Amino acid sequence: MTLLDFARGPALQWSLIILVFGVLWRITGSMLIMAKKDLSKPRRNTAVRDGFATIARRSLPEHQFEKKIRFQHYTGYAWHIALFISVLFFGPHILFFESVLGFGWPNLPNSIILVTGAIALAILIALLIRRTSHPVLRLISNADDYISIIVVIVPIITGILAFAHLGARYETLLAIHLLSVEALFVWFPFGKLIHTALTFPSRFQAGSTFGRRGVKA
Amino acid sequence: MSVDNTAFQEFRASIDKLGNELPDDGLTGEERVRRAKNTFMQKLDSGMAVDLETCIHCGMCAEACHYFEATQDEKYAPVYKVEPLRRFYRRELSPMRWLFRPFTRDLTAEDLEKWQELVYEGCTGCGRCDMMCPMGINLSTLINVMREGLASAGLVPAELRALQTEQRDEATVFGVGADQLRELVERMGQQGIDVPLDKSQCDVVVLTTAIEILLFSDALAATAKILNQLGANWTLLSKGFEATNLGLISGDEITQRKATARIVEQATGCGAKIVILPETGHAYQALRWEGANEVDEALPFEVLAISEFIAREYDAGRLKLKASANGRSVTYHDPCRLGRHGGVIGQPRQLLEALGLDFREADSNGRENYCCGGGCGEYVINRSAPLRQKAFEIKKREFDATDADEVVTSCANCRVNLMIGASNAGWQKPVESLVGKVAASLAD
Repeated sequence: MTLLDFARGPALQWSLIILVFGVLWRITGSMLIMAKKDLSKPRRNTAVRDGFATIARRSLPEHQFEKKIRFQHYTGYAWHIALFISVLFFGPHILFFESVLGFGWPNLPNSIILVTGAIALAILIALLIRRTSHPVLRLISNADDYISIIVVIVPIITGILAFAHLGARYETLLAIHLLSVEALFVWFPFGKLIHTALTFPSRFQAGSTFGRRGVKA
Repeated sequence: MSVDNTAFQEFRASIDKLGNELPDDGLTGEERVRRAKNTFMQKLDSGMAVDLETCIHCGMCAEACHYFEATQDEKYAPVYKVEPLRRFYRRELSPMRWLFRPFTRDLTAEDLEKWQELVYEGCTGCGRCDMMCPMGINLSTLINVMREGLASAGLVPAELRALQTEQRDEATVFGVGADQLRELVERMGQQGIDVPLDKSQCDVVVLTTAIEILLFSDALAATAKILNQLGANWTLLSKGFEATNLGLISGDEITQRKATARIVEQATGCGAKIVILPETGHAYQALRWEGANEVDEALPFEVLAISEFIAREYDAGRLKLKASANGRSVTYHDPCRLGRHGGVIGQPRQLLEALGLDFREADSNGRENYCCGGGCGEYVINRSAPLRQKAFEIKKREFDATDADEVVTSCANCRVNLMIGASNAGWQKPVESLVGKVAASLAD
């Protein structure tokens, strides 16, 4: 079995199993802890609407706070958009998704993907440097914060190297890229990347909790 | 309306002496940790678990905190204030605890002592960070659990503990009980203000606070004038008048439950349909939003903040106001637990505009308002006075920017704290009661 066969075969299968079961375990485990029912009379009965509104609202800039968090806010937008474009609209990625899902979609030109990949990489490196230099971030950061950035940076670097055929045979570069993505899958349920799934229930409960008191959250 | 300066100075002096004679509780460090952990285990629920799991350590919450803003000291980042709770959760409750435990340091007595400063002096539970968090994490609730854990570990700061134990054991606050209330009611009667006390049956029960009785009787007199004008069947109850809840403030649940139960029992006993809370933000949170949960059943009466009640009566056309502002301009300070935590945001503004005042909104307001800097009992903790003064400077800057003649608020604790800050800074702007403003403009 070649390295590429391993990356495409058992490594991919096991990393996906760990990803799916790990995420389900962590989400259900945290949500199943007992909670007392709130017996206070709500100001309004719009918990569901308020919850969804907050999911949307927390993705938007806010008046009073915006001036203080502009850097985090816009690097956040740029990084997530660049990542999604690179992952979802690169031709070879779409072929992979098609082999799994049975259907594909149009790809973007490689030149655009190269730019979005470079943007995502540059922002992550900037955020990593900021985490080591900003007093608040240095104080509150733990191993998870650094590991989570690194496991996302490495697939982008290996992807760019594979795309550019730099440093080794293409098959080897592709295998390394796949293995780095699989490392991300394995880490995903254990670190803070879980926010990808939990952001929505967390925002929802903020919206419904404050909403029942009549406050827009 | 103005506050008696002698009474104000005496009140400040009484704060300085708080807790001086408290005996040491004699708890060992090990016992403190055990108690804090027990409380954390009881209090953490699925909502908090999701919040703790979701945090990405972005640090944006720091930018919402008035203490961080005032000092730029990273230790005031709200997420850092819940670090012991997060560690406890990861070791004991997280679905991934089997993996996290070996890599997560256990709590120590030293941790609890260190976080006492951050949780009581470095946080007023104002909840501004709740509005900032991009993940929607309710940090103020987590910090409240930290307070509850520290309270059970015997680590409530001495001044606050003195007041909390007084309310728990004596049912008085600052030494104010039924006798002091009766004296005030008599004095008001002599001034021609009719304040019904201990009626056996009535529709409306009005609560007050020790601080109103000692310092801001103008607010209670104003409430009486408004209710009398409305012809309401109302009363104060000498066995259940105190709206202050030192249990909520300190994190001591026994005190919180006792203070709440006393009000519920007394108000229910006289058949109240409405209980009106005085101008005290945390009291609104304690009874309106946490009261039913403390007594384990829905409250048999409606709970309204006085500003909320007045606005409702005005809206319904039962209360007539005359616009007699004489061109005075005002700005409004939203008490955190009445506004951001409580939802009473539009009503005070509606009333100020009904009075014909030139209302000027401060830069931060409503759900995004900065705390007065001394909420949640912080203004009685003497050690934190320099920090509070720095936070007051934020408020002063914002109030000055409006160029308003007066600051109006609807919380006696905010009022005291702003007055202390103003007194220290030699700042002259009056800090007035909203209900006082309304009572001064009642139409005949």
